[in-house]
Amino acid sequence: METTASLSLPEPAHAHAHTSSGIENKKLIMWLFLASDCMFFGTLITTHLIYRKLYPSGATEEGILNITQTFNIELTSFSTFILLMSSFLMAIAVSAMHKGELKSFRRNVLGVIFFGFIFLGCQVFEFTEFVHGNPELGVPPMTLSNSVFGSTFFVLTGTHGTHVAIGVLWLIGLFFYSFSGRMTRDSALDVEICGLYWHFVDIVWIIIFTVVYLVEYL
Amino acid sequence: MHAHSLKHIKAVENRRYHTFFNLAIFLAALTGIEIVAIFLPFMRPALLVLLVGCSIIKFFGVIMWFMHLIYDRPLLLWVFITGLAIAIGTVLALMELFVQSDVDVTAHAMMEGMRIEPKAWV
Repeated sequence: METTASLSLPEPAHAHAHTSSGIENKKLIMWLFLASDCMFFGTLITTHLIYRKLYPSGATEEGILNITQTFNIELTSFSTFILLMSSFLMAIAVSAMHKGELKSFRRNVLGVIFFGFIFLGCQVFEFTEFVHGNPELGVPPMTLSNSVFGSTFFVLTGTHGTHVAIGVLWLIGLFFYSFSGRMTRDSALDVEICGLYWHFVDIVWIIIFTVVYLVEYL
Repeated sequence: MHAHSLKHIKAVENRRYHTFFNLAIFLAALTGIEIVAIFLPFMRPALLVLLVGCSIIKFFGVIMWFMHLIYDRPLLLWVFITGLAIAIGTVLALMELFVQSDVDVTAHAMMEGMRIEPKAWV
């Protein structure tokens, strides 16, 4: 693998002209936002873990909740895979913008949007399954208000889903903007910032998938 | 921008493509390992370490390469690490502060009309 130095891009002429940090303001602000969003998700994950620890039964009004019976780990694994692959496509889309290859950018962004919709569709399907339960298999419904586990689970995963939805809307905006004729190689920074947000949504899901889903099976 | 500069950018980005592709395959494989591991009859602490380890590797794989932190200025890494450290500190502190003895589990169980057997979790 090449060294970091050999992989460094030549800086655009305007990039560092007006900042004392040598980093574009937009990018620095995005990273500050992501750092603060880490704290936000940190508190939501903590809330889930604490209530999981304090109320281990996950009881609902309809009966004791068997979390692993309620979860559909195959579906969640599939959506995790989809989100990881969307991150790959996003990285390629950013790379395409740096190279000024607009067609490649559009193709990859369209892929990210498509994967984003698949992820959201899986989440909607999963939530619907949880809310209805499966009386034939003895799986009680799990809603936002009928159990402590349901409350913290839906708030955490729902907030993440909202982030994904915002990311998809942002990408759709960029996709259509690329047809306006105003998108050039100088717009690479805007695409990169959108990419940072999308990758962040991915890393949050990596944590949620392990802490909320997989740990339940141990 | 000069032609030679654009050519250099394309060469760099083409090399990165292979890095991104390899990383994507690696992340997918790690996720596969995680999913298989939870059904294996290993000891719970060992599996917990494995899952947390895989998550940390995936997390840093994405932020370092996909999010370009390895190519960008170190300040960005420190900005993000600071937020992450505060978040992890909050998680650990709250997990330590809120223990089962703080909750009247019996009252909660009576309220829900069932018997709860507390178990150690996480």
